[in-house]
Amino acid sequence: MNLTRFKNRLLTRLATVVPGLAQRFIDGYQPQESAGEIPWVAPAKPLRQAKLALVTTSGIHHQKQQPFDMNDSDGDPSFRALNGEELFDDFQITHDYYDHTDARKDPNIIFPLGPLGELVREGVLGSLAQTHYAFMGHIDGRHITTLVEKTAREVAAKLKTDQVDLVLLTPA
Amino acid sequence: MGLIQREIEKVGIATIGITIVREYTEKVQPPRTVFLRWPFGHPLGEPGNHPQQRAVVLEALRALYQIKEPGTIVDLPFRWRREKYDDYQPPTTAELE
Repeated sequence: MNLTRFKNRLLTRLATVVPGLAQRFIDGYQPQESAGEIPWVAPAKPLRQAKLALVTTSGIHHQKQQPFDMNDSDGDPSFRALNGEELFDDFQITHDYYDHTDARKDPNIIFPLGPLGELVREGVLGSLAQTHYAFMGHIDGRHITTLVEKTAREVAAKLKTDQVDLVLLTPA
Repeated sequence: MGLIQREIEKVGIATIGITIVREYTEKVQPPRTVFLRWPFGHPLGEPGNHPQQRAVVLEALRALYQIKEPGTIVDLPFRWRREKYDDYQPPTTAELE
């Protein structure tokens, strides 16, 4: 591991125990303000009939998949398709900008397949999609355009093809 | 994350996001969001705290159906670590349609 990655990981661990440091990280990054109309569509079906997929920026993926590129300081705008039925048997988290100690113990805190599966069994939620999608949320500079104009749109199109009605997005 | 959410909503899929950094969400303006003042890496709370995870998921789903104004951020009332979920009232069927 190179020195920058080591430093990032050390700082994220420190930020977990020193809230003031986390606030400095937050203040140090300013996302670009969105302009124009906010996209909007009403839910197509009642929850009990709807198919829901998860999309996360927590960097979780299957062990057999290529990890996100953490050596680029602007991040990695690619995504990984996740099989919800198998993910928790073989998952890995690639994201140097938060402390994954707790998420490794219980990935439901970043990717709530457990509680959602329970709602399906209870009849509260219609169904869960078979495929979910993961990004690595620390994306900056030139990769923002790639994310918005390419990979986020590819995922949106795939969700549409999968006939997904609702999406819950989780950060890290 | 909000940028991805906006692209998904644009293709006609209703979305709800969970955020732990309200400042970012206010700028990016995704369609619907629930906010928790919780540490990084813990958007659904603590490992193994099942009632907590379930409450956050249910509140996100309630917000997905109940928010009517694009860009709304709902501040969830759950405190970090000090919250008891015994009295939690889940949304009714009517609130999820």
